[in-house]
Amino acid sequence: MLATRALSLIGKRAISTSVCVRGGHGVAKVEDYALPAYFDRRDNPLPDVSYVQNLSAEQKSLKEKEKGSWVALSNEEKIALYRISFKQSFAEMNQGSGEWKSVVGGIFFFIGFTGLVVLWQRKYVYGPVPHTFEEEYKEKELQRMLDMRMGPVQGFSAHWDYENKQWKK
Amino acid sequence: MAHPSQLGFQDAASPVMEELLHFHDHALMIVFLISTFVLYIIVAMVTTNLTNKFILDSQEIEIIWTLLPAVILILIALPSLRILYLMDEINNPHLTIKAMGHQWYWSYEYTDYEDLGFDSYMIFTQDLTPGQFRLLEVDHRMVVPMESPIRALISAEDVLHSWAVPSLGVKMDAVPGRLNQTAFIASRPGIFYGQCSEICGANHSFMPIVVEAVPLVHFENWSSLMLEDA
Repeated sequence: MLATRALSLIGKRAISTSVCVRGGHGVAKVEDYALPAYFDRRDNPLPDVSYVQNLSAEQKSLKEKEKGSWVALSNEEKIALYRISFKQSFAEMNQGSGEWKSVVGGIFFFIGFTGLVVLWQRKYVYGPVPHTFEEEYKEKELQRMLDMRMGPVQGFSAHWDYENKQWKK
Repeated sequence: MAHPSQLGFQDAASPVMEELLHFHDHALMIVFLISTFVLYIIVAMVTTNLTNKFILDSQEIEIIWTLLPAVILILIALPSLRILYLMDEINNPHLTIKAMGHQWYWSYEYTDYEDLGFDSYMIFTQDLTPGQFRLLEVDHRMVVPMESPIRALISAEDVLHSWAVPSLGVKMDAVPGRLNQTAFIASRPGIFYGQCSEICGANHSFMPIVVEAVPLVHFENWSSLMLEDA
């Protein structure tokens, strides 16, 4: 009984996917996901079942015509036959969407918002920086670092030309 | 000390630090190579339109991606172990200095010949003379003779501290009740800064270490002066 139910779902075409592959031989209930289903996948080009299961009268007559010579079919008929078997063409299933633009836009928006938060914090939350950050003090610090020869090999002082009192080019 | 926005190591002031620098360059280059390669593979996998569902195995590539990582690891391990054993070599220190960590200052004892001891407190920001480095300067520096092997015995009087001077390639935990030994040679004269490297309370960030390496003559003058003052 289970077999008949399963058979009527999948149509006569798929009888060859035999009943004993599926279901507990009449013991376990046959779930939806265990039955053959239609899918559009680039790497699996032949789905288990046709897209259109219940053919209209027009489609049935087209199927009869398909049994004859295919040269007799017009382009529209060929396309109609394709659309009976398949939902999307390869071109349709592979096309990209514009979703990435929304994602990138969202990223920029939130980065900008974070920038605003940071600016607000610097104005309203943080206190003043120590006096050692003043321009004049920094100059004295840098001069002292050069006088001490800090980083003489590859670091800081290595880039200062002591003869000509300027940074090396 | 580091210059503003510095990313890499400070220039080495001791032979061991030089070795560490070069090893780091070597290992980082390997890391960059591997990362670039993996990134390329990821981009290639993500952007391809080709599919293949039927590869089962391949002996050749399995051999390659087993042997190559093993070789790379050996290339990293050999220099690393070399430096490890280099650091543990028996040397003959000319001087032994004890650095004791307190909350929140260091004290140094030079007891080889006379009894010289002094505390080394950080200079507060408001007391800095123009040009001094904020949070790095101390009132009494640890002066050492340059180009001499120095033994440093590190301990602590209260909680854990850590005595670290990056340009000398030295870091040693100061553990109360324990004497940790490390050694260094200052290969050039100069002033080398470091900071306490083990959380030790409220002012952990404000107990720096300053080592001043000077020619032996100057070291002798300095130690005589310090003994007089004490």
